[in-house]
Amino acid sequence: MTLKGGDVRQERIDRGIKVRTGGIYAVSSWKEIGYLLIPRLVLIVGLLILPLAVTNLYWQRVISIVGIYALLSLSFDFLTHFVGLVSLGGAFYVGVGGYMAAILNTKLGLSPLFTIPMAALGGAAICTLFLLPCLPLRGVYFSIVTLMYPLITARIIEALNILGGTDGIVGVASFPNRWVEQYSLFGLLLLILFGLRRLVNKDIGLVFRGIKDNDQAVKASGINITHYKAAAVFISSGMGCLGGAYLVHIYMWSGISQLALDFSIIPIASTVIGGGGTLVGPVLGAFILVPISELLRAFGTLRIVFYSLILMAFIIFRSEGLMVYAQRKYHQFERWVKV
Amino acid sequence: MFEAKGLMVFYENMLALNNVSLKCQEAQIVGVFGTNSAGKSTLMYTLSGIMQDIKKKEAMAGGERITLMGEVFYQGEDIMSLKPSQRARKGIILCPERRRIFPESTVLENLKIGGYLADSVQIKATLDYVFTIFPALVPLKNREGGFLSGGEQQMLAIGRALMAQPRILLLDEPLMGLSPLVQALLARSIKGIRDERGVSLIITEQYARPVLPIVDYAYILENGAAVMEGTRQELMDNPDVRAAYFGI
Repeated sequence: MTLKGGDVRQERIDRGIKVRTGGIYAVSSWKEIGYLLIPRLVLIVGLLILPLAVTNLYWQRVISIVGIYALLSLSFDFLTHFVGLVSLGGAFYVGVGGYMAAILNTKLGLSPLFTIPMAALGGAAICTLFLLPCLPLRGVYFSIVTLMYPLITARIIEALNILGGTDGIVGVASFPNRWVEQYSLFGLLLLILFGLRRLVNKDIGLVFRGIKDNDQAVKASGINITHYKAAAVFISSGMGCLGGAYLVHIYMWSGISQLALDFSIIPIASTVIGGGGTLVGPVLGAFILVPISELLRAFGTLRIVFYSLILMAFIIFRSEGLMVYAQRKYHQFERWVKV
Repeated sequence: MFEAKGLMVFYENMLALNNVSLKCQEAQIVGVFGTNSAGKSTLMYTLSGIMQDIKKKEAMAGGERITLMGEVFYQGEDIMSLKPSQRARKGIILCPERRRIFPESTVLENLKIGGYLADSVQIKATLDYVFTIFPALVPLKNREGGFLSGGEQQMLAIGRALMAQPRILLLDEPLMGLSPLVQALLARSIKGIRDERGVSLIITEQYARPVLPIVDYAYILENGAAVMEGTRQELMDNPDVRAAYFGI
């Protein structure tokens, strides 16, 4: 661009501290350690303080639900931006995990301490098994097929009147108190978030991203991509099932509404808003979107209108996503230079 | 008639084009030669205005910031701020690198998309003309573009660009990946386009030899800067240039 005062352009430069801490010498001063740690600490401390800060009973329930949506968003972001499978089956994962936890709890009398991990792992295995036939699909075909899973499951449960039919499974045990519920959920969320961050930077993450960019080239390297895709679906659906199991124990009820498409769609919206491919972004997105949706309840039937408008504004004016923007501002500064 | 002055393009902080100026007279064939990453494609995108589009997309996606500077004059008018579609209306047509034909449309459909802005008489005349200079395309009329060979696809790409009634045709590496025989054939066709239709052409290539016989004037790009320019003979007489770009 040509300005009046001569030819100048805006340039972005990595902050000096970013360049230094990018290497392995980050521990040379407290300032540099702080630079690396502060964003992470803000996230961790923020999440851990949240249950303490929220005193209203209604909002306490909301933040538990937000945690579940954050898990789902994380799962969606991982599968979409690191493996290239755009899955709309979030509701299916939640449903499978939820029903499994409910059955384990009511039929076998297991406590949530056992049902939740069992539902997460067992549900992930079931989801992976069911999704195995559509793993060769790519792009929109995979999305459409995965979208069908929750719909089909809900109709089958309704029509055959199995698993409690439309009434669902009632009498699921709840958590001993809300501290256990929220802190275990947020703790797991943080654990999974940082775990995934490590995973995608390891060799297996490299293969995942290779599959996303060019699966033929990965095949040509002698790697069985179906194997890796199945592993990715297992990880991702495991997170969804975990969320579903929590949901069931929070509501003390498991039913068809756990297969509602909200669980497929809201994670996509929070990924878009938070910034896809950052992993932290979708979590942040869920923590913004779900409360907004609750706040908008004051508008009654117009809620969806305002919700959609906010979403559209975000996508049009910040289509890169909040986290991408924030990371850039944190790591780089801008200045005008003469050409 | 067509002139670029002091073009500068930054991809984030990387300088892709450094103060490049170039001129193209009426019905002249101008060659731009340079190695990989010399800035040839960037130059073509900037001249055709596609860079404006790329810049906007990158900004939306939070990618690298592209800074564009300089002026592009066409018949005395500064067109730097015009969108690619507006430039195409003025007759500045880009035939992009690696062809970018529509692989799922037939040859005829591909050509017709190119002629979208022209009137029906022009379309018919140009269609006939394209099939005259590229007779190889005639039997392939109804075949999908993606099933053509590399040389045929390139003919189709040039044909599609011709359908848009260019006054200036920007050919980005038209001979890339083709056999020497097809290269010579295409070079002759390109010269024919200039001779018969009076179109000005700007051609980029890495290896100058196949297009050398048809260019009137040439620029050498190195690391984004135009380090040398001259007529064909002037460049041929320079031993460094001969060794680096002409392979003679």
